[in-house]
This record gives sequence, structure tokens and C-alpha cells, in this order.
Amino acid sequence: MGRVDTIIGELGRIAEDPVGYVAGWKERHGRKAIGILPMNFPVELVHAAGALPVVVQESRVPITLGRSLIFEYYCGYTRSLVDQAVTSQLDMLDGMFIVDHCVALLGAMDAIRYALPDMPVYLAQFTASMDEPWSPPQVRDEIALLQARLAALCGVTITDQALRRSIALFNHDRALLRRVYELRRTGRIALGAAEMQVLVKSAMVMDIEDHAAAMTELVEVIAIERRPAADGVRLHFSGHFCHAPQPELLDLIESCGATVVDDDLYTGYRYISTDVPDLADPLDGLTTWYFDRNNNVPCSTRAQKTVDWESYLVAAVAADRSEGVVTLMPKFCEPHMLYFPELRKALLDRGIPHLLLETEHEGLALETVRVRVEAFVETIKRRAAVAPELA
Amino acid sequence: MTSHVMGIDFGSTTAKAVIIDLDGAIVAARVSHMGAVSDQAVKEAVADVLAAAGLAQSDMKRTVSTGYGRRMLDIADKNFTEITCHARGAIAMVPEARLVIDIGGQDSKAIAVDASGLVVQFAMNDRCAAGTGKFLEVLARAMEISLDAMGDTAMQATRELKISSMCATFAETEVISLRAEGNSKPDVLGAVHAAIANRTLGLVSRVGKVGPVVMTGGVARNRAAVHHIERALGLPIILPADPQVAGALGAALIGLDDYRAEQARQVAAPEDEDFARQMALGGACAPACKGDPITARMVAGSSMTTGRRVLLAE
Repeated sequence: MGRVDTIIGELGRIAEDPVGYVAGWKERHGRKAIGILPMNFPVELVHAAGALPVVVQESRVPITLGRSLIFEYYCGYTRSLVDQAVTSQLDMLDGMFIVDHCVALLGAMDAIRYALPDMPVYLAQFTASMDEPWSPPQVRDEIALLQARLAALCGVTITDQALRRSIALFNHDRALLRRVYELRRTGRIALGAAEMQVLVKSAMVMDIEDHAAAMTELVEVIAIERRPAADGVRLHFSGHFCHAPQPELLDLIESCGATVVDDDLYTGYRYISTDVPDLADPLDGLTTWYFDRNNNVPCSTRAQKTVDWESYLVAAVAADRSEGVVTLMPKFCEPHMLYFPELRKALLDRGIPHLLLETEHEGLALETVRVRVEAFVETIKRRAAVAPELA
Repeated sequence: MTSHVMGIDFGSTTAKAVIIDLDGAIVAARVSHMGAVSDQAVKEAVADVLAAAGLAQSDMKRTVSTGYGRRMLDIADKNFTEITCHARGAIAMVPEARLVIDIGGQDSKAIAVDASGLVVQFAMNDRCAAGTGKFLEVLARAMEISLDAMGDTAMQATRELKISSMCATFAETEVISLRAEGNSKPDVLGAVHAAIANRTLGLVSRVGKVGPVVMTGGVARNRAAVHHIERALGLPIILPADPQVAGALGAALIGLDDYRAEQARQVAAPEDEDFARQMALGGACAPACKGDPITARMVAGSSMTTGRRVLLAE
């Protein structure tokens, strides 16, 4: 086993067991751990407060007691969050923070408040209308409020110096992750989609310095140890705003003759796309990050005239030379469902093959998914084979 | 030794095998029903079709499998999904078709196709057996009627009843209740087929309702299913002579494409100007090549896909 396999194995174990990792971290450091919900919360604030920011992910455990608190037609992620709350999986957290982006997540937060009455739960509203002149100052005010609440919760003062250091650390880690993305996108390494998810998911849980150390070592050796193999059909994954697709689904897709070269998943490029600029006032930097992020990888929950998701996707597919797009849409994800027709139209208009796969917490009929993915890959291959004849 | 190609569709309820010659014409086709030991039915279908054609497996230049058990066949050189194969087979049978509805034993698909039999878009059931042959099987048992007799009996319906199209298990309960309320067997079976049609319409809506429509798969033999789907679509359905073997035929034709492409690639390179010119065109050539590029040749009503530009002798 090479160093890359070892590193990914270690990070994978942490990503799969955030509860165990957080418990160990708290024991070692004697500090608080703060749960963060996707997708716009500036985690640097938590780090600067001396706490561990933990982006709470979907649990693989079947939903049981949580069913009594949230409807079945909420997405699997929100239902899983509530279930984790009522089954004591969030007890290791000392507070939870969210910047809202969808109504289902707000519902889940209410259910968590009900299930965990002693847990400090804070909600911030970042203006979703990105073009208005008053939006940046409003967002900055909200970030300042979050800073004050975190400082009070952690019993510290969050200094500009501490915040600048945290911003630099997270920027460094994001840059390392983007480097791996670039190596994969340009075909210089072989790295499975599930492995890439491990790298990002672990960044959402781990002490950022430990994660960056692991990533530094990985970046040094990955081009040597993971030389690209024979190419499958190059695919771009799109979707999953809040949580990670199941790794077995990603493995299955790649086992059908596909190579995933890029994505806009939350537990993927969306999370790492944008650095916080180093401005004189770090809160201005975090505010700018919120707006820059939507410029870089637009989200259907934000309203902005100058960018849109479908244009981004079409441009990304051209840049990464993907031969098709697989949309991974969590069942009952309204922001995605409502926007999907726009994405579909843009892809159809440009003749970009695409496949929609709806995902669920409860699992998938993998054999049926296999047929659909194989048919998708076969269609792309057969069309490519005919194209030279028709030219 | 003769040269032929075989396609095998290893489905969930039946195994289908088709042998074609190198012009793409069907030489023999057979369907075997699955028993408890499913691979036995495949072996029977293969043995039967070889016997019917008077050929041996060694006469097959290519064997391509498709269907639910496509990866389980040792004799297959390659396998493709039933979506790809039904598209190819259906267009070979009905060249003008642009939408293929394939309702098989455990899944159903709507496939938009182009003139060469390539898939444009497809949709298939992904969570539920409602709208599949299995749905009919479950309800045939509940109604105490044979699967073969279901369609003809349903066509005798005089009243329109409604049952759920969402779940085979709940539909079974509804069917029993409808019978207990005194509704006739034909009327209840009519409702069963209307439920399948509604489900199919939902699939079609995901790829776009275009015509002409061809129906393949075992359920295409059920005239009540065809009737109700036509009514739901508002379009006539074209039925090939043997809709059940469309997938196996498609597999065979893809095998033929593959065989021809390989033959073209393997031709020894002649040392002359023509060959240099042909290669400059980015292609391979065939024996006795005259140097005229021909990009496609019609095989059984469908264009041959070689994967490369092929130069064939006139």
C-alpha cells in the first residue's frame, strides 16, 4: 500500500466517523466543537474562536426515531440531521450554527432545537439577493453577529489576528484540495470520485492544520503513485448541495466505464472553490468570500443576475473536457428540483449528454442505477464512434 | 464454416436468442421461459436457436449479450444494456420509429432513438415494479388468470374502473377489493392495464412524446396493454413481428458492427498509393478496396456503426 492509499484510508476513517474524531479531538484539546450546517457558514470564525468547526454530514444509519419529528418528504439530509439529534449523535457538539439556504434545513433546525433544548442553536440570515448594494453590509453585520455569538459561546475574544490566521490556514487547505482537483481534471492522476469525496469530507471535520499536513504529503506523492490509467468516459458530477452522495454510488458509476473528472458538489469543488481574500478587515474578507463563492460556483438558492448555474456548468464541462454530466439530485431537494429544468435545457441545447440520478438516504436500487449509467456510457461511446463517420 | 453473429437477451422472465447472418438478416430466433434455474433457460434458448439455424457456437463470429443477466454469460464476447440493444433492434425492425417503449419482466423503458438506432434519451422505472411485466404477473395471480389470457380478457371490459398505478402490492389489494365488490373480471383487468398505461405515459413524458412509436418486450404481446398505452399516448403503436426478441436482435446487430469494424481494422495494409490516401482520410480499408470512402452501409434497415471510417469495395 502506497502513501496515497494510507492517507486516504486515514482521512476516510475520520470522514466516516466524525463523532469518534470530535470526541477524541475534544479530549486532546479540551476545547469546544461547533456543528455547522451547509453551505454558507464561514468556518474560519469557529476556528478563530479556538473551537473545532464540524460540518455535520448525513449519517449512514437508517432513520428511526427522527421520523416522529420531521416529514418523510423532507430530503434525506435534513431527516438524517434530526435523527442524529434524537439518537444522541450530536451530543458531542457544544453548539450548532447555520446560515440558512433552504426551508427544509430551517425545519430541521427547529426539530433539532426541540430535540436538544439545551443545545445552543444559532441561525443567521445572509441576504440571498446578491446584486443589491445593501446586501454586502447586511451580510457583514450578520457575520459580526455570528462572531459575537461564537465568542460568547466559547468564552473568548475573537481577535482580527486570530481570524487572519484562521483564514490563512483554511485558504492553504483549500488550495491543496484544489491542486488535487486540477491534477484529476487534467488527467495527470487517477483518483476515484469516492476518494475525492473523502478528501473534502475529512476537511469538513478535521482540525484544519492536521488536514493540511495530510494534504501536503498527499500532493507531494499523488502524481507519482497514482498515474492515470486508461480513460473511461469523462464525466462531470453536478448537484448535492448539502451532503455527500453515497460512496458506493460513485464507485458504481465509475465501474461502468466512466471516469469522473470534475464536480460541483458541496462535498467537492463547491466547498473548496473560493478563498477568503486577505483584506484589512477580516470580516470584510469573509463577506467578500460569500459573494465570490457564488461567482465561482453559482448556487440556485442565491439570486444573482450576472451568474447562473447552467452557464457555469456548461463552461465547466468545456474546460474539463467532460463527455457528459451526471446530475446527482437528492430526493425532495427543492432548490435543485426547481432549478433542474434550466440545467437540463442548457445541456440539451448544447448537445451535452446528461443523466439524472435521484438519490435517497434509504439507499438506491443499485442494479437499476447500473443499467442506466451503463446505457448512458454506451450512448456516449457509440455516438463518439459514429461521429467521425458523419464528419 | 459459416459466419454468423448471435445476440442473447438474458431477461428476468425469459431468455431470447437471435442469430443473424453477416448482412444482418435474422436466421433464427428463440424465446425460452425462465424456470427456477435461470441459466438453464438461457442454455436452452441458445441451443434451440443454434439447432434452428443448423449452426454451432463456433460459427458465431461474435456473441453479444444483453438483459438483466448479461454479465453472467461466458459465451458472450461483449455485453450491452437492454436500453442500447432495444434501441438498435427496434430500429432495425421498424426503421421509421423514433420512440421505443420496452416493457419487460422487471423494468420498463421509454427510449428516444435516432434513425441509426442510437439512443437519444431514455427513462426507466427505478424504484417500483408498477408498470412492468412483474406487475401483470402479480395481478394475474391475484385474479386467478393466466398471464397469456389476461390481455384478451381485459379487452372485454365494459366499464372503466381505477386502480393505483404506483405500487404492485397496493394494486393487488385494490384488485381483490374490486372483485369483492362484484366487479367483473374483464373490468378489473381493464383497470390493471390502464394503470400500466398511465405509468408508461409518465416514462414517455420524461423523454418527450414523439412518434412513430414502436413497442418491444414481452408485454407488447398483450393487446390490452398495447391498446391502453395507445389510448394514453394518443398515438398508434407499431408492433414488430416478434417484439420480444428486439433486444437480442439489437445485441446481435451491435455484435455485427463490432465484427465488421474489427475486420476493417485487421486488413493487411497494401503498399500502394490508394492505401496511403485512405489512411490519410483517417480510416482503415477492406479487401479489394477501390479507394472510395463509404461511411455506412444499410444492415437490416439500419446503418452499420463501425466506429471508424471504412473503405469498402464496390
